[in-house]
Amino acid sequence: MSLEQFKNRDVSDSGYYLVDIDAYPEKGFDKFKRIVARTFRGELFVGLWVVMREMIKFDIHTVQYPKEKLPVGPRYRAVHEMQRLWESGTERCIGCGLCEKICISDCIRMDTKIDENNRKVVSEYTINLGRCIFCGYCAEVCPELAIVHGGRYENTSEQRAHYTDYQDMLTPFDMALNGQVPEYPGFGAVTPHEDERVKSTPLAY
Amino acid sequence: MINFKINGTPVTAERGETIINVARREDIYIPTMCYIEKTSPCASCRLCSVEVEGLDGFVLACNTPPTEGINVITDSEVLETERTNIMRMYDVNHPLECGVCDKSGECDLQNKTLEFNVGQQQFAAKDQPRKIENWGLINYDPSLCILCEKCTHVCNEVIGDDALDLLFGGYNSKVIPKNSDVLDCTFCGECIAVCPVGALISSDFQYSANSWELSKVPATCAHCSAGCALEYEVKHAGVEAQGAESIYRVKNNFEYATLCGAGRFGFDYDNSATKDDEAFAKAVEAVSKAKAIRFSSMITNEEMMILKALKEKLGLKLFNRDARHMQLFMDAYASVSGTKHYSADLETLKESDAIIMVGTRIATDNPGVRYAMTTAARHNGAKVVYMHPLEDALLQNTVTQFVKYEVGTEEGVLALLAQTLIVDQELTQREQSFIDSLDEGYLSAETNVGDDELELMKKQFLRSKSKTLVIGSDILAHERVENIARLVALIEKYSDFNVLVVPSEANTLGVSLIADLDIDDHSENVVGYNAKGNFVISALEGADLAVPAFNQQEGTVVSIDKRVLPTNVALGFEGYTLNDIANALGVHAQNTVDYTSRLPQESGFKAVDFDDLENFYSDKGVDTRGYVLDDVTVKRGGYPEEVAELPEFNGAVIYHANPVLQFNAFTAQTKQLENDNNLYGSASFAAAARLSDGEAVTFVYAGETVRRVFKLDETLKGTVALHPTFDLGLNVRSDYRFETVNFKRESK
Repeated sequence: MSLEQFKNRDVSDSGYYLVDIDAYPEKGFDKFKRIVARTFRGELFVGLWVVMREMIKFDIHTVQYPKEKLPVGPRYRAVHEMQRLWESGTERCIGCGLCEKICISDCIRMDTKIDENNRKVVSEYTINLGRCIFCGYCAEVCPELAIVHGGRYENTSEQRAHYTDYQDMLTPFDMALNGQVPEYPGFGAVTPHEDERVKSTPLAY
Repeated sequence: MINFKINGTPVTAERGETIINVARREDIYIPTMCYIEKTSPCASCRLCSVEVEGLDGFVLACNTPPTEGINVITDSEVLETERTNIMRMYDVNHPLECGVCDKSGECDLQNKTLEFNVGQQQFAAKDQPRKIENWGLINYDPSLCILCEKCTHVCNEVIGDDALDLLFGGYNSKVIPKNSDVLDCTFCGECIAVCPVGALISSDFQYSANSWELSKVPATCAHCSAGCALEYEVKHAGVEAQGAESIYRVKNNFEYATLCGAGRFGFDYDNSATKDDEAFAKAVEAVSKAKAIRFSSMITNEEMMILKALKEKLGLKLFNRDARHMQLFMDAYASVSGTKHYSADLETLKESDAIIMVGTRIATDNPGVRYAMTTAARHNGAKVVYMHPLEDALLQNTVTQFVKYEVGTEEGVLALLAQTLIVDQELTQREQSFIDSLDEGYLSAETNVGDDELELMKKQFLRSKSKTLVIGSDILAHERVENIARLVALIEKYSDFNVLVVPSEANTLGVSLIADLDIDDHSENVVGYNAKGNFVISALEGADLAVPAFNQQEGTVVSIDKRVLPTNVALGFEGYTLNDIANALGVHAQNTVDYTSRLPQESGFKAVDFDDLENFYSDKGVDTRGYVLDDVTVKRGGYPEEVAELPEFNGAVIYHANPVLQFNAFTAQTKQLENDNNLYGSASFAAAARLSDGEAVTFVYAGETVRRVFKLDETLKGTVALHPTFDLGLNVRSDYRFETVNFKRESK
């Protein structure tokens, strides 16, 4: 179907036809007859029977939230997760500060320092989810696929401070080591055909 | 004047200018990686290659002076290819760690790589194992180093430490400490400043912040009188610190100015306090009832104006030793020279080719003067004559002649200098008879400055054109300061020497120009403002009322350059200030900086508002900071007196001199600067004072008992020991810097 068809405002020869509808009853008796016909046709009981049948079958299609939750799409942007590397379980975050810089609601803050191996480590990392607008910029800018948007969309709490705990966001260490964390497909992940685009560095020595 | 063309545009060059100097002056862009204005060209990057019409090949714009009539082409396809290839070479195996590198965002390599659009590596080179070096305050990562040689050039030509060297080894080349395993230098950190990549970095700052997060506060360094320009870089103090800010590092405009390590690493001396109404009320009462206020010269001109107003309103006395010494010196100097200010500044010192320095241990007293002197020595081949009782190992690469004189005989030394330097001049009769009356034999014998030494000095200066005499704070604090000042002025008047006086503290000069100071009679009922007193108002610990430290204030100071320099608030302060006390006592001003435009014009200040003062170097290197004091002529009428009998210092003599990077009680509390307060002396001092290495002694200094550990120092000679005073509080140094003391051994 092309756009042209939608733009065509001439309805005279484009397959439109009038629906066959009975004439509206004019007289009082005709109205009465229609009411009787509608009442005793039994359509009411068709509906009631469906409800009855489903109730007896106990095959309930309603999602039993909060006991049951629907899976969200991989590109849904819910509460952030901090990823670890597969093999070593090392935190992926290198502390480059790009998420902090790009955040338009200024809710990310991190402290970094030099460790004993002369590497940069993140000593503190907070996201104020009370301010976060889940725009996804942080996940998009992250060069290490460290910060991603997870699927946990419930963020109600009595305390705003509960929104900022890094440990809640960080993938558990044992899960990462046991390979229980799948390669993240969600928001901020590399696109599937990325391998074809990478050019190798000459190593001719 | 040389007339030539750049890209067809006619331009002119001064003698000694290179193509790049002219191009930059004319706003013509030539890319560079290794060029730095204040040193001789490193010529290692070859990015500034330009073409000259009619000439095969390229010439380097950085080290080629133009010749008459040539046409220089700065931009062509061939040059573009050449430069792009250079950038490709720079990027071979450069670690792709921009994400964590501290230089990211202000990196020359990053900028130029993007400018020449180098998107991939086309060459291969076997990577070398390279170890990250930790040199104390400085970390060095050889794999990030691009070997531009800026650091070695600055270290040698401007600082004078000559501590860095290049280890040549092809692809394995790197920067190494010169003649040593670890970096042994004064840790000025200028190598960090000039490093175009993240190879040399402050170990304290490394990986703690990104360059784009830091807000820059242009300010003036408060540690010595050089008044160096610096930028405090401020960011929130961390996730845990709610709302608080802290200074992460200090940067400087390394292209045109230089900063020492105290300015660069000693920035965290800020004070914190809340509004303590009880202490404030007590302070107001103490000031209103006080007989005098004693204060240090680490205050702004505006605070000094407040103190002056309080003096006038309440009839107080103002005590400040070093500023009073400065006043005595400058008044006596002016009575002979006829000008209120001395004639030289750091710029004239940099351009001098003959320098005499008397009465200062300059490398630690005022590094700014030392750097200017090193620049003069390296770039103009300046002959530097250093006259002092103690030799200084830090100056061994700069000084051409060391003249040792006896402690206390500065007056005799200056008289000898006057006699040597004033030749064939039309002196007034009284001046001539003074010169004639000098007993050279006596002076020579007492000062221990020989005839031959003075002759050698004169011989060295034969071809010099621009000469500077540097007068240090030993002389300002001398008993005979007034007569010495007259001798100095006489030398200036009748020889081709300019005079540069080194004020002893950050704003000694400014304080001395604003109000008359009284003789400190050590009376009771004195309020101390950043100094000792019965009631202490101070930015240091243990104060009765806390006030903001220097980096938490706005105001102006007067530097050695006679320049009124603005400084700004790097960190906030919640408590009360001196202005609040003054307001409570009826001296009204809304802000402290309201006093800036009221600074006394009879001393050369201008009626300029604080907000109208600039504080930066322009991109062409023009110093727009503040303003220079106007010349003020005063009535002449002073004549040098007869030289008094020269004093003798026998026994154990100590010289009050701070170690490298330490200046005062504020630098003493910073976390990066080493806090070495030992008493250092040579083996002969140890023998004379009967002390052994590592022994703890106590002695009375400036009315208080001081405990020090004695350490033997191989580099020292003679029987004078170095005694640090930086950790004893502010404005504690007593009058003359040499002192005979009685050591009391600690019973073991």
